[in-house]
Parts: sequence; structure tokens; C-alpha cells
Amino acid sequence: MTAIDHQAALARAGANVTGWWSRTLFFARRYPLGAVGAVIVFLFIFTAVFADVIAPVDPTATNAKYSLAPPSSMFWLGADFMGRDMYSRIIHGARISLAVGAGAMGLGGILGISIGLASGYLGGWIDLALQRLMDIMQALPLLVLAIIMAASLGPSLRNTVIAIAIPLVPSVARVVRSSTLSLREQPFVEAARAVGMGELRVAVRHVLPNTLAPLIVLATAQLGSAILVEASLSFLGLGVPEPHPSWGRMLSESAAEYVRTAPWLVIWPGVAISLTVFGTNLLGDALRDLLDPRQRS
Amino acid sequence: MRLTTAIWAAGTAGLLTIASPSFAQKQGGTLNMPLRDNPPSASIHEEATISVVQPFMAVFNNLVVFDPNQKANSPDHIVPDLADSWSWNDDKTKLTFKLHQGVKWHDGKPFTAKDVKCTFDALKGTPDEGTDLMRKDPRKIWYINLKEVTTNGDNEVTFVLGRPQPSFLSMLAAGYSPIYSCHVPSREMRTKPIGTGPFKIAEYKRNESIKLVRNPDYFKKGKPHLDAIEWKIVPNRSTRMLGFVSGQFDMTFDSDISFPMLKDVMSQKKDAICEARPSNVNSNILINRDSPPFNNPEIRRALVDTLDIKAFNEILSQGHNLDGAAMLPPPNGVWGMPADMLATLPGHSTDVEKSRAEGRKIMEKLGYGPDKPLKVKVATRNIAIYRDPAVILIDQLKKVYIEAELEPIDTTVWYTKIQRKDYQLGMNLTGVGVDDPDVNFYENFYSKSLRNYTGYNNPDVDKLIDQQSAETDIAKRKKIVWEIEKKLADDVARPVIGYNVDNTCWSPQVKGVKLQVNSIYNGWRFEDIWLDR
Amino acid sequence: MGAYLVRRLFLMAVTLVGMSILIFVLLRLVPGNIADILVDATGNDDPQEKARIVHDLGIDRPLVEQYWQWINGLAHGDLGYAFVSERPAIEEIAPRIPISSKLAGLAIFFAVLLGVPLGVVSAVRQNSGLDYGLRVLSLSGLSLPAFWLGLLVLMASVQWFGTIPIYDADAHGFFTQVKMLALPAIVVGFRSSALIMRLTRSSMLEVLRQDYVRTARSKGASNASVNYDHALRNALLPVVTVIGIEAAFLVGGLIVTETVFNIPGVARFLVEAIRWRDYPIVQNLTMLIAVVVVTMNFLVDMAYMVLDPRIKFGG
Repeated sequence: MTAIDHQAALARAGANVTGWWSRTLFFARRYPLGAVGAVIVFLFIFTAVFADVIAPVDPTATNAKYSLAPPSSMFWLGADFMGRDMYSRIIHGARISLAVGAGAMGLGGILGISIGLASGYLGGWIDLALQRLMDIMQALPLLVLAIIMAASLGPSLRNTVIAIAIPLVPSVARVVRSSTLSLREQPFVEAARAVGMGELRVAVRHVLPNTLAPLIVLATAQLGSAILVEASLSFLGLGVPEPHPSWGRMLSESAAEYVRTAPWLVIWPGVAISLTVFGTNLLGDALRDLLDPRQRS
Repeated sequence: MRLTTAIWAAGTAGLLTIASPSFAQKQGGTLNMPLRDNPPSASIHEEATISVVQPFMAVFNNLVVFDPNQKANSPDHIVPDLADSWSWNDDKTKLTFKLHQGVKWHDGKPFTAKDVKCTFDALKGTPDEGTDLMRKDPRKIWYINLKEVTTNGDNEVTFVLGRPQPSFLSMLAAGYSPIYSCHVPSREMRTKPIGTGPFKIAEYKRNESIKLVRNPDYFKKGKPHLDAIEWKIVPNRSTRMLGFVSGQFDMTFDSDISFPMLKDVMSQKKDAICEARPSNVNSNILINRDSPPFNNPEIRRALVDTLDIKAFNEILSQGHNLDGAAMLPPPNGVWGMPADMLATLPGHSTDVEKSRAEGRKIMEKLGYGPDKPLKVKVATRNIAIYRDPAVILIDQLKKVYIEAELEPIDTTVWYTKIQRKDYQLGMNLTGVGVDDPDVNFYENFYSKSLRNYTGYNNPDVDKLIDQQSAETDIAKRKKIVWEIEKKLADDVARPVIGYNVDNTCWSPQVKGVKLQVNSIYNGWRFEDIWLDR
Repeated sequence: MGAYLVRRLFLMAVTLVGMSILIFVLLRLVPGNIADILVDATGNDDPQEKARIVHDLGIDRPLVEQYWQWINGLAHGDLGYAFVSERPAIEEIAPRIPISSKLAGLAIFFAVLLGVPLGVVSAVRQNSGLDYGLRVLSLSGLSLPAFWLGLLVLMASVQWFGTIPIYDADAHGFFTQVKMLALPAIVVGFRSSALIMRLTRSSMLEVLRQDYVRTARSKGASNASVNYDHALRNALLPVVTVIGIEAAFLVGGLIVTETVFNIPGVARFLVEAIRWRDYPIVQNLTMLIAVVVVTMNFLVDMAYMVLDPRIKFGG
């Protein structure tokens, strides 16, 4: 694999890559589905960041009078068993999902990058040991490892992030390692070493930036799966606890009990999860096409 | 409201037909039942949950039992089970039972007085060498007044008490007091118990199902009517409900249908008979009175001042839960204080706005206010029935400048954490096995009890508990019980926010169901139930 | 090839041993143990009772000794005793394996049935409206949480049929069982079908661009015969491998689906056992899953090598 950057990729694709705006337009025209995904992801992040401003009421405020109230002008998406506004809860749920998704992706990314760089750059027995560790972690399906981790750590927001981040590490480490291996022998890296740069500096300054393209592709995919795993963990009661309005949590136990009297309890959180993950998947696909020409179809 | 009234009526009508002399019970058939979770074991004495009592009570017998044909468990409605008759000595410290003859254990061995002695020696914590009937004993406190059990031949057994204790007979009549046999080791009691009861265990598949089959040699002639009872373990409540609605189950799990769900059940299964009754499980607040901020009695007072019991009940049960103090309130409860007395207790005021204003005044005096709230954590078990009231409590605390955060605790470490006093406030549920002051007070408020999680220790209350326990005159005893209830409320020891009322439903083919209104733990022998199909 | 096999098998063994240590240690980091749970379940925090149970179960012994006992037992085919049910762990685990396997098998069957043809159609009609539609559909398959799909299916089932599939252990006969497991299998398989479809499509596209396909076309072979005879056969190789890997990784989907549909398989049992801190069950189940995953990976690699002559054996 060779060094790739956006400019080059776009240039190869025959675009006139001047300003940011035209690049965006080009992207949208070349990858309409990817553009839809980007819009969804942007909306998701926007909602999460400005949840306090967007949500009409406090998502944890209970009110006996409105228990299981159907959608109305007051409760756009209805109210839950405790009379809490579903719309506000969904809005704030974006924040939980983003916090866990981005947190897990970030933490898993940092760990994975460190391990991958160490592995690929240092080689030798360190590489061997780290690779075996990655093998072990990949011997269990993502959700199974996350469940065991989450149960060991106990339900809380922080622990959920850790429980999801750890299983994400091996794939990041693998990607970084393989790019590092091929980059290590590249002329520009050798040149940097020749002028007397320290090994760590070479790795971070020259090798890491060039593994960015496959990492971006991977990160987008991982954001989606982290959100899905968070929802599953919370659904099983092992993830983010009440009263945090987690989408997965909203779908567990009580929601299903009122399925017929209050279907909105089941429908909206599921739509929110699916739409968000759908958006990241669309965007991820387009980014893969753009940044990783080998897999272009 | 109107709908629920109609259902109540339907339920009562159903009961009336059952109550009329049952001249044509049909033999046979399999009753299909859902179970809400995997029972921790089959050994009733070792456990404290309805998930064990409801399926396994039918495997056993007691010495005596609360009259299954009465709606309320009370000391005057206790009938023979394994004992044919019983009598007290003159100073009411010796209780002698004459046992039914010719009773056999499910494995064919004869039942004798020795088995009764083995059971209670083990419960007292002084088992004979070589017998190993149980490894856990959560109700040891029930038997602190039991000095010894003596036998006289195979058919007579005497309980010797340290002092008179009229409630002792009630405890023996509870579903939690089956008789075990000397010859079955504890591991077998936990996995495939041997009893004398109307049903034998055919198969117990963990996390999956429990199959009980008719005991053909049951000592009560003509019973049971069913050939078998099949329990399916279904942890998801909505799946259980759908299973009942679609006819896979003949009955719901006890008190499984909350009021918000009831409408749904009735609309999908028009002929369902549903009955609401208190389960004698109350939600209460645990307060750590040994460390700040709630070591300050004034802040404890502000805490109860903000409680709006009605709002809790509206959300949790559409207003059906009952407001009560430490004992289940009348008319369902035998011992609880009357409503007008209850309204004078802190935390049960009918004018919530006024008492909240008082609460705010206290907090302001202590330097708190809307901009400077007191920050606390509310710990609770990570289960919906615990979490739901905790979330409402947090909302109500805001009204007296207390900003609380929920701290969900894994069920596995909940009691350990509470006992370590590693909490500020806790939302707790307490189920009472028998509607009886001895059972409730000794378990939960007596200074020496292991289940007194909050470590509440008031010598006056201890003395009053002992005093009411020895009182044989029921009217006098009630007066003392009410005094204890008042003292507990004034002390803000575990403020009760409500007694749960939930629905149990069954299909009209199931006959002979009699739900008891002051405990869910005592009416599940299944020997009178039959199927009309 | 012999040397390569030896190396692969050795690495597999290393992975599994590492897994056993990892799971053993992780479990003991979990707060609370079985004694806490058993005693606390009665609301009676009695330290004496706890100590006795801990001692009886041997979880107060040194960790190394406990680990050795487990591994040594495993080597002799003894999985130990389940803490909760107090029965041999093998008797608890073994009857659940066929349940989950049937569900997983049926799910893969549905996934292939749906994924392969749609993938082919999508590739052949590349960039058509149909292609876009199918791609969006397959992406949605990867985006829907399985438990939500399960809940929706249950809702629909009640709405239309007035009933839900309740698992019945006594259901015998092929069709009864298929009927009982069909809905949950579709829920589990939906995600896999999306994966399979995507992979079929992309490898079809790759093959269609290859020289020999062009040659076949230029020789006058009909479009259909090129698409379905030449291309599909070659494109299926990567698809077969992903099916193998996916079969092992279905466990994640099984966990939530078995929970939603109340199916007493291994996946739900694992979660239940973790909740109860039932070490023997969790340890052995996790190892079982790891063995399945590692073996599947191995078999897939082998299949790949045997089927694809371009791949050379070596380090």
C-alpha cells in the first residue's frame, strides 16, 4: 500500500480540487449515498452537542399525569411510563450514543495505534507478543468480549466506553501495523532516519500520518458498531444505566411491556439507533471508495 | 378508572362462582404457568423470593397452613396440614402438634415427628451431627424464641418457646415454612427436593422449565386435581404477557400485570379473569443515618417532607398502590394503623405543598437553596421495579433543594454495599412473608437482625417489639404495633412510599384460584386448582 | 504446507491458552462472587454463610491452583460443577449447544438464500436504481440492532397472528422446529445476509472485470451464461469464506435474539451465567466459543488455500 491523502485521491478521481466547498460538492456528486450519510452523521453530532438547546424539556423530569401519553403537540413523540418526554430523551440519547461511540472509538484508536505502531515499527519479539495478544482478543466475537468486560466493570458510562473500546483495539492495531510495515522501508522514512531523527519521532511524524486513510475508513465503521454494541449492552442491562437516556436502555424491559398501548416507546429509540448507524455506514462506504482505491467498485 | 372497576367486578364475579361449593371438579390436565426468573434454588427455606415459593410450595406441606379458602391470612384462620391438631400449654410456651399418620415422602419413606425436629433444628442453626438440610438460613430471626423441639413417638412433636409468642403459629403456617425430611441432603433439596406435597418434581431444567407431576399417594384424599403443572421460565415480562394472552399460559405469574399493562391484557384476552391485590411488598427509602448529610435529623425530616406518595402511586400503579406505614394498611392488612392516624405521620401528609414549604424552610435554614442545592446519590438495585420509584424520588427531591443522582447497583452487590453503609440514600423493596408484626419488625427493625440493613437501633423500639410479640390480646397488641409504626415514622427509619398492588390474571378454564390479599407467599399449594376443559 | 500447518496449529493453541487465562482473570475481577449472590438474593448478608459457600466451592483457594484445576479437568474432559445448578457443567452446557447451532444454521441458511442472489443481481445491474435500492437495503441490515428487529417482529406477530413463537423444548420433527425457530433465525440472519450480499456484489464486480470474462463475452457467450456460469462460480470463493467466519461470529446476534425470543441456547445462558458469577459455566462456554471461532478461521483459511491456486503456502 502506498501513501494516500485526500488531495491525491480526489485528483486521481479527476476532480478539480480547489476550495473546500467545491470538494464537498464533488464528493456529493460522486457519492450521493455518502453525502446522505454525511448529513445524517452531521445531524447526529449536532444534536448530541446542542441537546440542551434542542430538547424542549428535561429528559429526566417525571410527571404522573402524562404516563404513556401518546404523541401530541406537547409531547411530539409521546411520553414514557414515567411521563418523561420521549422527544427530549431521544435528543439527549444522541449525546450518550456519541459519547460512548466516540469515546470507545477514541480510546480503542489510541490503544490500537500505539500497539500497531510498536508492533510494526519495533518488530521482533515485541511484535510477536503483541500479535498473539491481538489473536486472543479476536478469538471472541465483539459483543461477547464487550459483555464480559462490561459485567466485570459494572454499569456506568465510563465503564461502557472501556468495555466497548477494548474489543475494538485489535482491528486498529492490525491496520496500523500492516501500513507501518510497508511504510518502514519507504524512501522518505529512511531519509528521515538518515538525517538523524529519533525512531519514535519518525514513527509519529512520518509513519502515522500516512496510515491515516485506512484508519479513517476503519474509524467510521467502528463508530457505527460501537453505537450498536452500546445499544445491545444497555438493552441487556449491562451498559449505560438509568437515568441516562440511552437509546438501548429505552428499548429494554419496560418499553416492550407497553408495546401495544404505547408503540412509540419501541419505535423511536430503534429508529434513532438505526438511522445513526445507517448514516455512519453510508459515509464509511463512500470514504472507503474514496480513500482506499484497492477496494473501489 | 371505570375500566378497572369493571375488571374488579369481573374478578369478583369469577371468584363468587369459585367460592360456591365446587361439586364438579374435573380431574386431570396440565396447568401451564410462566415463571419470571430462574429460581436460585428449589429449597424454600434457603431462599426469600416468590420465584421459589410459587413453583415449589406445591412440593411440600407445612404442619399447619393459612386457610386456603380465606382471602386474608390471619391468626384465626389457620387449618391443619401435616398436623391434625395442636394445643398450647397453660403458660403458652409449649405448642404440641399431633401429626397425621401414614404420610409418605415422595421417595416412599415414612414421614415422622423426627423430620419436623430435623427441619427446625436446622433452621435454629443447631442441626444434629450428620444432617445437612440447608446451607443458608435467611429467616433465622423467626426462631430466636424457639428453645427446642421435642418428639414423643413418631406422631407428636412439641415446640418449646422461651416466652409466649402467639405469632409463632402464624409463622409455621407460612408458605416459607415447609417441613423437610431428615434423610435428604441439602444439595438435593436445592435441585430436586423431596417433599410430602401434592406434586412431585419430575424435571427441573435450569433457566428453562420445571415440571411437577401429581403425587398419586398424596395423603389428602382426592387431591390434587391436576395431573401436572408445567412452569416455563420466561425472564421478559412482555413475553410472559404475550404468552398468557395467546393461550400458551393458563395464568400469569403472581402480581405480574401492572395497572398500565392491564388494559392491554384485557383488550387482547377478553375472557381473562384479573384480580388486583396488594403483594405485601413495599417500596421504602433506606437512609444512611451514620454519615453526612443524613446524620442530621433535620435533613432527614426535609427528605420526608418532600414525599408525595400520591404522585408515586399515580405513576407506578395509576393510583392503586396503598399508602401505609411499617405494616400493610387495612382493610387488606390485619395490623396496619387506620388511615386517619396515618395522615398525621411525617411523609404521609395530604397537603404536600404545605409540607414541602416546611421542608424548604429547614433546608434554607441550613444554608441550601435553589442555587446551592444539596448534592446526594440515590443507590438502587439495577432492576426496573427498584429503579422506577428511585427516578421519581430524585425528581421529588429537587423540590427541597436536594439534587440527587441515581447510582444503579448491580444486584449481586446491593446488600453488601448497603450493609457496608456505602450509600447515602437507597431505594429498596421489602417483601413481608406473613402479614404479622413479629415477622416484619424482627426481620427489618430489630437491632440484632441480619436483614436490618440500615442498622436501625432504637432500644425503645426493640423493647416494644418484644412486648407486642408476647401480647396475646389482639386489640392490645394492635395498639403497641401502631405505636411502633409511629415511632419508626417519626425516626424516619425506612420511610414507606407505598404498598404495591398488582394484578394476577388467569383464563376462565382455571378453577379454584383463591388469591390471598395480604401476602403473595402463602397460597400456592395448587391442590385445589382444577381445569375445566 | 506441513510446516505451515504445524505453525498454524501451534498459534491456535497459544491463542486458546491465552484466552483461558484472560477469561479466568477477568472473571475474578468482577465484583461479587457466587456466594454474595446466593446469600444476598435472600436479603440476608451473613458473612458466615458466605464464607462457608466460598469454601465449599473452592473459590477461596489460590488462583493458580484454581486455574490448574480447571485446565487439568478440561484436559481430562471434566468441566467441573456448575455453581448455581450444582450439576456437572457439561450437563448444563451440552443440551444447549444443539439449540443454538440449529438457530445459527437456520440463520446462515436464510442469509445465503437472501444474500447471494441479491448480491449477484446488484452486481449485474451495477449503478441501476435496483442496485442502489439493494445497497441501501443491505446497509440497513447492518444498521438495525438485532434486538430491535426482534421486538418489531414480535409486535408484528402479535398484531397479525395474535400469538408469538414460544420456545418449546418438546417440539420434535423437522418442520415443527423450523417453524418455531424461523422468526428468530431471520432476525439473526438479516445482518449476515447484508454482509453476504455486499461481498457477493463486490467480488462479482471484480470477476466481471477480469480478462477471461471479457474473453468469454467476446467469444459470443450469452450475457446470462457469462454472468451466472463464469462469474458467479469464481465470485463465490470469498463469499464462502465470509460465511464461515460469520457463522462463528453469529454468537453476538444470538445473545440478544435468544433473549428477545426466550430461547434457552448457549448465548443467553452465557449472559445469565455471568450475572450469577457461575465461573465454571462462563469459563467453559467462553472457551467453547473461542474454539469455534478459531477453528472456523482455520478452516476458512484452509478452504481458501485449497480452492484458490493463486495463494502460496508459506509463513
